[in-house]
Amino acid sequence: MKQLVLLIAALACMPTVLEAQAPSPAYTPPRTKDGHPDLQGIWQVLNTAAWNIQDHNAELGVPAGRGVVEGNEIPYRPEALEKKKQNFANRAALDPEGKCWLSGVPRITYMPYPFQIVQQADKVNILYEYNHTLRHIYMNGNPHPEGPIDWWMGDSRGRWEGNTLVVDVVHFTDQTWFDRAGNFHSEQLHVVERYTPTDRDHMLYEVTIEDPTVFTRPWKMSMPLYRRVESEAEVLEYECYAYMLEEHWNKR
Amino acid sequence: MTSEHRLVVAVAAAAALSLCAAMTTSAQGFVAPGTTKKGPGAKTWLAERAKLPPFTPPRMADGKPDFQGRWGGSSSGDDVEETEQVDATTPPWESYVSNPADGRIPYQPWALAERIKHRAGLARGIAGETGERLFTDPQTYCLKSVPRYAQRGFELIQTPGYVTQMLNWGHYHRRIPLDNRSRPGVAAKFWMGVPRGRWDGDTLVVESTNFNGKMWLDSVGNFVSPNVRITERFRLVEANTMDYEVTIDDPQVFTQVWTLSYRLRRQGAGGGGADRDPYAAESWEHACHEGNTNHIEGTQHLGFKWFTPVVPPAQR
Repeated sequence: MKQLVLLIAALACMPTVLEAQAPSPAYTPPRTKDGHPDLQGIWQVLNTAAWNIQDHNAELGVPAGRGVVEGNEIPYRPEALEKKKQNFANRAALDPEGKCWLSGVPRITYMPYPFQIVQQADKVNILYEYNHTLRHIYMNGNPHPEGPIDWWMGDSRGRWEGNTLVVDVVHFTDQTWFDRAGNFHSEQLHVVERYTPTDRDHMLYEVTIEDPTVFTRPWKMSMPLYRRVESEAEVLEYECYAYMLEEHWNKR
Repeated sequence: MTSEHRLVVAVAAAAALSLCAAMTTSAQGFVAPGTTKKGPGAKTWLAERAKLPPFTPPRMADGKPDFQGRWGGSSSGDDVEETEQVDATTPPWESYVSNPADGRIPYQPWALAERIKHRAGLARGIAGETGERLFTDPQTYCLKSVPRYAQRGFELIQTPGYVTQMLNWGHYHRRIPLDNRSRPGVAAKFWMGVPRGRWDGDTLVVESTNFNGKMWLDSVGNFVSPNVRITERFRLVEANTMDYEVTIDDPQVFTQVWTLSYRLRRQGAGGGGADRDPYAAESWEHACHEGNTNHIEGTQHLGFKWFTPVVPPAQR
């Protein structure tokens, strides 16, 4: 009996992708003055996807974690899987985060820094703490500009589907990764993000990844976003390249 | 060319490019050598401001003035004090210092000596340089602080509890809470400082502290200490004109509190004709650090040092 109680308790405490996928349909978020769902506030993930978006054990400095990829498997093409393995083996030198570059979408969302959503009539802005990254999600009726364009954070165009903010992102560089474990993409990356408020302090964040040159089929990530509810919660600054330059100035 | 020559050219080209880009934000633009008329700084703006009729700003739903929109840059960013002609891209300009009245930054003697040292080591070809390579403007490493973030303009948004500023340049953003919240402890230092905002009548007052003192006020070595308190006052004086006043309070560096005065102009969104670019009002990615390797390696190779905050004598 005692073992059963422990087992149930352990299961109850274990967050799963499946749980995170079930938004509460009953929740109706407040509206902005423009009449759209109000997603404003400071948000952050509470997971280990920054290190590895797939299931992984702990290492020195790396917390163990369940992944955020649905089904856990990423459908790499054979040659791409080989490159992923090489990336992983050489991740200390190759990870673009180590160069303090803009981290791309969706990686920026699940890095261990908060971000603030500020809405306007014609766009939703996301102000990230990491590298003072600023993202404008345009909702002004303009389509993606004609490519090809190599942008670190891509070109984001949004729309509302009920209470869900749906963002279509294209025009990426091939220089960013999905995590510190070497998961990667090409400039053909097409990302669709869905931000669905599930109660006052939570959103469901779902991402569809499509990149036919690297993956055999589209695949999905999902995770909850948590509102930072501290009364004085604030996005501060993580000026990655400033710290890096200062530390390495005389060592290069 | 030797590799050092190539690097010098690359660094000079980058500096010239940044100056040219900065010039486009000024109404004055290119001034031919020998011209004595100076570009408009604080003196011109204060004289024009004094002639303006009283203005009542439009209001938000909560009754606060509506300052929202895209605002053009404050200055070229080249020198906050009065300058004479430096070269073709650096014309003579009035000081942006409105107080004290002589337009000079009221440095304490030791601090003025530091500033002179910074300027003498720029290796930019400005009069008085020693030829030594000391520091380059930290902004060339894609860094910003207050009030220099305003140099090339920003979009301002007002949402409940916040004023937000968003820059195209270097994807900077500034989130100014209006709820009178506490400040971090003094040991916590930030490149952009920590701002707290409030309304004083129809003026938005933003007080920032917790700076790290690693950023310059301009490209020629004017500086503040990490203990500075910077107060910005934004006031709409015409529908499309913002009065932007910046007070610098740093008693360990200066002999008095002093003030910079700028005019910000509302930015348009392109022409209104049938051939209007539908993307004209959009702000597209300005990645900066990602393409800056040549400049970083070049300045390192040339022997420029990383600027560290100036320490007042009392703290040495």
